[in-house]
Amino acid sequence: MVDASETHLKLDPDAVGRQDADSLLRAIQSDIRYREVVHGCLNCGVCSGSCPSHRFFDYSPRVVVQTVLAGDAEAVKAMMDEYIWACAQCYTCAMRCPLHNSPGGLVMIMREVAVWRGMEAVHRLLKPYGRVLLKVLSIGNQLTPDMIQPDFFPDWGPKIPWSSTDLALKRKAIPVYTLQVTSSAWRVSPETSYELYTIYEETGVFRLIEQIDPNLFEVVSDMVEEVRELVEAGRDD
Amino acid sequence: MSTPLKTTGWDFVTTTVDKRALQRQPPADPRVELRELEARGEVKIIPITADNRPIEVETLLGRTKRIPTNKLWHHKSCGQCGNIPGYPTSIMWLMNRLGLEYLDESHQTSCTAWNYHGSGTSNLVALAAVAVRNWHRAYETGYYPLIHCGTSFGNYKEIRNLLVEHRELRDEVRRILNKVGRELVIPEEIVHYSEWLHVLRKPVAAMNRYDVSHIVATVHPACHVWKLIPEDVIYDRTIYGGERPAPTTAILLELGADVRDYSTWYDCCGFGFRHILTEREFSRSFSIERKIKVMVDEAQSDVAITQDTGCTTTLDKNQWIGQAHGYHYDLPVMADVQFAALLAGADPYKVVQLQWHTAGWEKLLDKIGIDWRTPKAEYERYLEELRAGKAPDQLYPPPVE
Repeated sequence: MVDASETHLKLDPDAVGRQDADSLLRAIQSDIRYREVVHGCLNCGVCSGSCPSHRFFDYSPRVVVQTVLAGDAEAVKAMMDEYIWACAQCYTCAMRCPLHNSPGGLVMIMREVAVWRGMEAVHRLLKPYGRVLLKVLSIGNQLTPDMIQPDFFPDWGPKIPWSSTDLALKRKAIPVYTLQVTSSAWRVSPETSYELYTIYEETGVFRLIEQIDPNLFEVVSDMVEEVRELVEAGRDD
Repeated sequence: MSTPLKTTGWDFVTTTVDKRALQRQPPADPRVELRELEARGEVKIIPITADNRPIEVETLLGRTKRIPTNKLWHHKSCGQCGNIPGYPTSIMWLMNRLGLEYLDESHQTSCTAWNYHGSGTSNLVALAAVAVRNWHRAYETGYYPLIHCGTSFGNYKEIRNLLVEHRELRDEVRRILNKVGRELVIPEEIVHYSEWLHVLRKPVAAMNRYDVSHIVATVHPACHVWKLIPEDVIYDRTIYGGERPAPTTAILLELGADVRDYSTWYDCCGFGFRHILTEREFSRSFSIERKIKVMVDEAQSDVAITQDTGCTTTLDKNQWIGQAHGYHYDLPVMADVQFAALLAGADPYKVVQLQWHTAGWEKLLDKIGIDWRTPKAEYERYLEELRAGKAPDQLYPPPVE
């Protein structure tokens, strides 16, 4: 168990790529949120009994908490590879735990560590996530009107082609000025993106993306450079 | 297990899994600590002022929460604006009808919490810095932030609490915010639009033009609204005996709808954050099996009413594919604020923007007695006018470009 004095606010940038089981478990248990999401465990199973993912996957929040509490570093590492990614992040477990644990919150700490340390499963799991990452990194939006395309959502039915045809015109027909755009959810000012890039830089998010998806990072870097030049030129004027 | 032990164990779980057990040992109120931090000069609080015309409500632990109703800064939702545009337009349309002041502008980012929950490709400091940047932008405009998205609302409540609890987080966020010329500010209350609608339910319902007593509505409470920081959620003894969150159910009752219970009301919608994009079979199966099917089969629901972004999308978009397995529910899905705007006479196409929804909503409007055929024809004419170069209608005057 990690001593309270060893808690950390940010993951160690020098530990990128380090995947030995003990250091992974230590990174999880020393997160400043750890003591707020794990208080012990009765093994009562109330969390798993109400867990939506437990109904459909080989996944149990009870097992996640028990394994981390048992300090079995190898078993925790194995879970980080795929198991914890089944969690739907609904926090029903947190709502119902008699000890006020938040297994969903623990899973988020574990996912963060898995991504930061560059675990193999992360590259596979995040591959279909590229479009969201591009948007969130470049403009801070996570979903935009032009992302709803029939090719990506064929299972959403015959109305989706309507949503993606003549999109600019249909967006213009929404009577809210900020929403009359297609490639962002609303008009995002370049100054706002500029500030967001500083946050991403200072908090290690850009560095993280460079590590897990160099191609995406290159595309984002070009967009960042363009916006920065635009804003700085405006300031010079 | 012996009978006495079984009874004891069951009593223990049923009393302590109920969050109202928190009343016996309530957690510290972060708002009290926030005021202490402000007194020490550590943070600035974004105050709710008389201009915001606050209305007091009671939360889970019996604490008072002040909900501002006027002079609000729209913290928009990317999922709503991108995919359910009638959601924010209905909020603004109702504010116009109520004569309330607001600011909608472009100096806002998403909270980035959807991406965080789905992919883990962010971190606590980044989430906190993004939140404070948006709060500070609202603060400098003099308008109070109103959070449209349930995940932003839940995330911002968590971030508020963590900023209050951890000096090292405050120090780091302050350092980063200073780099972009901003300060560490924290709102007096984190407020979701459904709370705004809840406290204004009587004036909103007073605008209702239709009798909806024959319309069965089922409510899907959004997980990140009521399961994250549950002690900050509004409960009302007159709504399900104070056993469930009051917002959304209360406005529907005020509008006169037949609100019916169903056994899986507490379940999530199946969105899953990453699942809606990368584990679609889960989202499809869960939304149909655990929500839509139960709403219709148990409650004979005419409409599923939501209060968040991902839930509206998941419940609406995943029904069509269910036909492959013989599910033909086609239950209309819309947000509480869209339903309220419709009943107040908002145009189903130009304002409520139901044309972007997938499940068939036309039969619901027919049952209520709302004409959608004329507005549809007008909308199609309007599109042609826009194509020909007409300037679009606006709910507020846009800035001069």
